[in-house]
Amino acid sequence: MLSFLYARQSGVDDPVRLRRAESTRRVLSLELNHNRDVDRIHGNGINTLDIEVIDGRYMLSGGSDGVIVIYDLENNSKKPQYTCKAICTVGRSSRHVHKFSVETVQWYPHDTGMFVSSSFDKTMKVWDTETLKPAEEFQFDGNVYCHHMSPVARKHSLVAVGTKDPKVQLCDLKSGSRIHILQGHRGEILSVRWSPRYDHILATASTDSRVRIWDVRRASGSLFTLDQHNGDKSKASSEAVNTAHNGRVNGLCFTADGLHLLTTGTDDRMRLWNSATGENTLVNYGKVVNESRKGLKFTVSRGCSPEFVFVPCGSAVAVYGLHSGELITMLRGHYNNVDCCEFHPDYQELYSGGKDCNILAWVPVLRQPDIEDDETNSKRGGTQAAINPAFEDAWSSDED
Amino acid sequence: MNRKRALIADTFCLSKRRRCASDCVTGDSQADIRSSLQYLMTLFSRKLFNDSLPPVVLKHQLYSLHDDKTSVDKQVNELRENGELLMFQLGFDSEAFALVFAEDYRAKVLQGEAGRGTLATVEKFLAKLIPSCSDLSFNKEKMLKEFLFTDSEITQLVKSGVLTVRDAGSWWLSIPNSGKFIKYFIKGRKAVLGMVKKSKYGEILKTELEARRTTAQVKFQMKYHVHDIIGAELVECIQTTSGTLLRYVDGNNN
Repeated sequence: MLSFLYARQSGVDDPVRLRRAESTRRVLSLELNHNRDVDRIHGNGINTLDIEVIDGRYMLSGGSDGVIVIYDLENNSKKPQYTCKAICTVGRSSRHVHKFSVETVQWYPHDTGMFVSSSFDKTMKVWDTETLKPAEEFQFDGNVYCHHMSPVARKHSLVAVGTKDPKVQLCDLKSGSRIHILQGHRGEILSVRWSPRYDHILATASTDSRVRIWDVRRASGSLFTLDQHNGDKSKASSEAVNTAHNGRVNGLCFTADGLHLLTTGTDDRMRLWNSATGENTLVNYGKVVNESRKGLKFTVSRGCSPEFVFVPCGSAVAVYGLHSGELITMLRGHYNNVDCCEFHPDYQELYSGGKDCNILAWVPVLRQPDIEDDETNSKRGGTQAAINPAFEDAWSSDED
Repeated sequence: MNRKRALIADTFCLSKRRRCASDCVTGDSQADIRSSLQYLMTLFSRKLFNDSLPPVVLKHQLYSLHDDKTSVDKQVNELRENGELLMFQLGFDSEAFALVFAEDYRAKVLQGEAGRGTLATVEKFLAKLIPSCSDLSFNKEKMLKEFLFTDSEITQLVKSGVLTVRDAGSWWLSIPNSGKFIKYFIKGRKAVLGMVKKSKYGEILKTELEARRTTAQVKFQMKYHVHDIIGAELVECIQTTSGTLLRYVDGNNN
């Protein structure tokens, strides 16, 4: 670490290098911290989490009981022990609360005055944060599995909605119209995602095992479908030609630069695709257990040198290296299935929510100060924790 | 006190790398995969099939020997492109691929065909296939136009077992007489998984499992099956102070 600081100071290294190295170190040391807690408001499982992009201060969560809660993640008390308080909730007593489970929530990408939530009660509501009343409500014919607003769009404010209907609907927030439809899928749409690089590129995943990439400015169909065999028709059985997975595709996530797309499917596989050409990069993550009947929400780290993917796997969160495919670690702490996770890029923290009604905050372990007169510690490069003299090893020899 | 060993990124590992550079395994080269393949081929029981089958290894058995699955995949594809290795889709699982060395395959097929009328067609097919083709299946136009086979020759190839029907007008590449292999393999896998499942707490040390007596269901060597269930992630591998522990994973289709 000191060598990185010196290199940056003397100009040998780019400033970004120190930042990336430190972010990577922090992500690798994610752990449950007894100093950080999140208020427990939900009475039923938590389906979705979203942290706003402007300040990274407020987090939205949506639960299976239809309740939506906003938390303040910033620690303004001077103590290390901090519970992220729930500032306001749309609880069961509110007149406008969703009747059934809330599947997706998302902050308006440009400010926190507004957020959008969609639910199994076949509606999508646009809420005013100040008054906690819906400013707009969109009705659909089937359960709404997911929705997404483009994080980079300036020219349009379209919300892509995936429902039980095989048609992907685009709702315009400015005019309230919903006439734009994307046709092409043959099954329910389990996940939709806008590209963080271009404001007109949309990816959709469906139960017909296909993932389609659309350009919303075009009148004709999708740009291309992701094919797991990269066009090699000989590998698949005849029905499985041109599919992204051998089962339902239920999770989509773009990397932060928008160049790659990750998909997960119920065939227990996760695949990494080049988002410009649709080519399967064939990175093998092994068996990524996936039994979710609806969408799976997973996330990718931002600002680290080998990027990491955080995928909920049963009751743990699995951390994989993005391009190497190796399983780095499993974060265990939940008592029941984990449904969603969200990465906070500024502090390299991970928040995960699951069926046990808890939101857990995974915080990087703080670096312990070096003990300067202890020779074994300085040899190992300074990440050794300081040992309490009561636990110090006073009987085994140093030769091992 | 933090007893867990912290995960350290590569960039911070400079001093550690210098110290154990001698005993660290450097990146796998092609030779490593080939030697792992040869080791796994020795575990295959030839006598069981009266020497009519070439030694067959499954691709996921390699994952139990090497850590990085992506590089294993890449090297297997390189070997296939060089024409040294052939890959087959085995039917019972869309992800299970069988690997056979090209010379072994050619020798056994010709040995099986000796004296039959279809020998000439099969020889012609193998000559076209082995140097460059890395397809798993063929459809009609490819057979007729590229390889210049007639319909009757295609029927002869199917009869000899080199091609298996996949769909109307397309065929999988296959190993002749492999039906028995697949049957014994599936039975043996089920039996070995059952052994792990029935152990106390559903887990067993790998060395103990390898030392157990095989039941009548298990025709292959125990190590062959153990590599298979580890590579296919049907059991979880946990490192303990007494060696590797295999724990049965719930939610399997088997």
